[in-house]
Amino acid sequence: MIILRSFRDRNPRLEAMGIIVGVGLFVLLVALWRVQVSHGEHYDNRQDAQSLRRIRIPAARGEIVDRNGVVLANNRPSYDIVIYLEQLNRMSKRQDVVQVAQASLGALSQTLQMPVGLSDRDVRIHYQLRRPIPLPVWRDVKAEQVAAFAERASTLPGADLIVMPVRQYPQGSLAAHVLGYVGKAQQDGEEEEIERYYYYQPDSVGKQGIEHACDELLRGAPGGKTIRVSPGGTMVGEIGEKTAERGGRVTLTLDARIQRIVEEALARAPVPAGKDVKGAAVVLDPRTGEVLALASAPSFDPNVFNPGTPDAVITALMTDKVRRPMYNRAIGGAYAPGSTFKTITLLAGLESGAISPNDTVTCTGSLQIGNWHRSFGCWNHAGHGSVDAFTAIKESCDVFFYREGMKTGVEAITKVAAEFGLGQPTGFDLGSERKGLVPSPAWKLTQRGERWWDGDTAQLAIGQSFLLVTPLQMANVAATFANRGISWKPFIVERVESADGAVIRRGMPQVRGRLSAAPQQIETVRHAMLGAVRDMDGTAHHAAVSGLSVAGKSGTAEYDTAQGRQKRVWFIGFAPYDEPQVAVAVVLEDGDSGGHTAAPVAGAILAGIFQKSEDREALANRDAYAD
Amino acid sequence: MQIEKRIELVKRMDWWLLGAMVALAVGGVFFIYSASYRGPGQPMPSYYKMQMVWFGIGLVIYLAVALVDYRLICQWATVWYALAIGLLLLVLVAGAKVYGARRWLGWGSLGIQPAEVAKLAVIIAVSYFLFHRTPEMRHRWQTVLWTLLIVGVPQLLIFAQPDLGSAVILVPISFGLMFVSGVRVKHLALVALAGVCLAPVVWTQLKSYQKDRLTVFLDPTKDPLGVGWNLNQSLIAVGSGGFAGKGYLQGTQSTLGYLPRTVAPNDFLFSVIAEEKGFVGSMCVIGLYAVILFCGLRIAAYARDRLGMLLATGIVAMLFFHVFINIGMTIGLMPVKGLPLPLLSYGGSFVLATMAALGLLQNIWIHRRVY
Repeated sequence: MIILRSFRDRNPRLEAMGIIVGVGLFVLLVALWRVQVSHGEHYDNRQDAQSLRRIRIPAARGEIVDRNGVVLANNRPSYDIVIYLEQLNRMSKRQDVVQVAQASLGALSQTLQMPVGLSDRDVRIHYQLRRPIPLPVWRDVKAEQVAAFAERASTLPGADLIVMPVRQYPQGSLAAHVLGYVGKAQQDGEEEEIERYYYYQPDSVGKQGIEHACDELLRGAPGGKTIRVSPGGTMVGEIGEKTAERGGRVTLTLDARIQRIVEEALARAPVPAGKDVKGAAVVLDPRTGEVLALASAPSFDPNVFNPGTPDAVITALMTDKVRRPMYNRAIGGAYAPGSTFKTITLLAGLESGAISPNDTVTCTGSLQIGNWHRSFGCWNHAGHGSVDAFTAIKESCDVFFYREGMKTGVEAITKVAAEFGLGQPTGFDLGSERKGLVPSPAWKLTQRGERWWDGDTAQLAIGQSFLLVTPLQMANVAATFANRGISWKPFIVERVESADGAVIRRGMPQVRGRLSAAPQQIETVRHAMLGAVRDMDGTAHHAAVSGLSVAGKSGTAEYDTAQGRQKRVWFIGFAPYDEPQVAVAVVLEDGDSGGHTAAPVAGAILAGIFQKSEDREALANRDAYAD
Repeated sequence: MQIEKRIELVKRMDWWLLGAMVALAVGGVFFIYSASYRGPGQPMPSYYKMQMVWFGIGLVIYLAVALVDYRLICQWATVWYALAIGLLLLVLVAGAKVYGARRWLGWGSLGIQPAEVAKLAVIIAVSYFLFHRTPEMRHRWQTVLWTLLIVGVPQLLIFAQPDLGSAVILVPISFGLMFVSGVRVKHLALVALAGVCLAPVVWTQLKSYQKDRLTVFLDPTKDPLGVGWNLNQSLIAVGSGGFAGKGYLQGTQSTLGYLPRTVAPNDFLFSVIAEEKGFVGSMCVIGLYAVILFCGLRIAAYARDRLGMLLATGIVAMLFFHVFINIGMTIGLMPVKGLPLPLLSYGGSFVLATMAALGLLQNIWIHRRVY
């Protein structure tokens, strides 16, 4: 101000000039304060947004191993031939980068004898959005092509070979439905997100099975780099780097040896000639609920789902409506249990007092119920004659169970079925299981609008009616009998370890429920199941294994399908009888009968597990019996 | 004159003015280096070395101009003026065409911008003209009209190059001179009013890129990747500097080329400084200019005669509007115009013109009457 006054003394208008200059500079300072201090952060963010890009480097997925450490899923290197558009552009001297790239790819295509699958648009988009990262041209190329490329590498500017981890399943299709497969993650992020992140390759996510159920544990943490780019999108420097963290290792309760036995036995199932084997088999440890094997046929090779496979092959696999190879029948298939359900009906009758072990019923081959126009037939049209509970299970007499089932009543039967866990999910850790259906009078009234009648109870008693069960549920029924009434929750993940070896998750045996029936009542049913396999006239005798006491029950449920009337054939059982170590359930979607088609599969499985030969005599007499 | 007398004159220099000038010049070289820096080990243009050469030459001119009595210089006012008009005409005919404009006169990489010469010549001519008008005459319209004519001829020639920034800056310079010389405020207001009325005519004469710059100034969000690019990138540079800045050579806007490399060392050098030195740096820059401008006004106030006062005022007006428009431009306060920042921006002609103008200020101070 003193300065200004001195101006005024000389020339008042100089003072005015001084004020103008002072105010002008002050205005600049205020404006700069606003931009730099008040809104500094805003501009800082804008700068990061325009010049920082993140490159994601996928983490190697964790391994999946069986209970003995046999590797079921791990990673192998995939050799990808890529081009760097940034380099091509630098060499091209103002030519259009797409033309340069396509010309270079054309030459590469000739030397490697592989067609180029990239459109001009693919190249342009990559150039505009992801210039600093390589553009994959051929993924997962074969060794001879790697060699051919390496020979000419120096003459191929801008092209390079990079190695990426790819999921592989060393055992091929073994346990495919348990393991599942991996696929590309859905990139549904917003535009901006895609623009600010560069992906070397899309993240893999588990799509089915353990890969899906344990996806987060297997996936690991992707690493990444933050880079600065110039306005043209060229990388000018790295700011930070984070190494990818390997995913956790999943140990299954599954036993690869048993799984292989089960799958081979299933594949050799004696289904009618010319038909594919469609079915499932489950092997449980009845003492813990550990799943030792879980197979579904037909199967698939999860190795198919790698980046090198043409889309058409995968689409064909996914849309095969006839064989449905991707469908896990062991937990997703719900079938009528047929005569295997008679074990439950018998236990319900014994528990409710409606049946006593010594009651006999005379089977004449059919039974008239109410005033229905048709009689209810026994599978043995000639009739079984006088049968008691033991014989009824052993020979699978339908008439016995029509009568005794009606005496027991629908409530008592469904109560015991519920105790076995039917009609509800088992809580299996693989997920995506069906819960099945145990019908009741209330259910029929609301769903069908019809009243329940005695005939429904009779049908329910022999496992037909509206009953639906999964193979896993039936394996659990067998395990509960094996275990004398204690039912464990089935599980397949034994433990998960992080990359540094710490156990993150451990599968613990859990009691799912206990039967309310008395031990001797359960023993009665068990004993009848032993007879069904052990005795030459037992309908499940084809499951017999010499030197092993096998107990079980076969079943055949007739079913109307789009392909006509089919039979769902079953076997459930356990062994050894006194100290059971395994419980098994086998189902085939189309077969002759449980005793003829499913029981031999179970026999082969049990013989394999206990390393015994199948009962030769039983095999010789295979056609002498029917159920 | 004897050597002793010359030394005596040097001793009477305004050391504040010299100090601020040297500080800005040295800072300019450092930040021109930073503005052309492209990362460690990367080749970069050596503008900063050129700038040092220009300062070397500028210092010689500075001393020469400071020590020859300004009254002697001003007696040649018509010569300087005619020389400037001649150069402006020559550049229109023979100037090198850069980005569609003929502003450069020169040989190879060396060249001068006649517009910079013209600014000084106009200051001298108008001051000399007003100095010779008696107070009564200054109250008449003729004075205003003559002044406008003296300014208008070079202005039109500069506008024709086209160099809108330099043409426009002559307006506040002439207004400042007339105002301080005692021209009636009423007259000045009427001229300003007439100017506003003529603005639409001028608008029709503008090139489309000039119109774009003006409309972008009114709406910076318009076309941020096109004509709004420079403004937006400059705002990001200045704003991201924050309070304390990112540190010398740590600014990324010019290093990565977001702030275009063609403008970062000259017209947008302030953005580079503001990004790397933050608000603190901005304050220092404005503080140094404040020293120069107020020293200039003090020199005007203490000048031996009206001629000195007018010259000093004209120079202060020129420098002030350069500073205000340039810094204002980097933060969107003013439209984007090609006006460099005195002493900081890279550019030979302007460095020399500024040094000559500051030499003239020293000259007036040295020859002040000491009481």
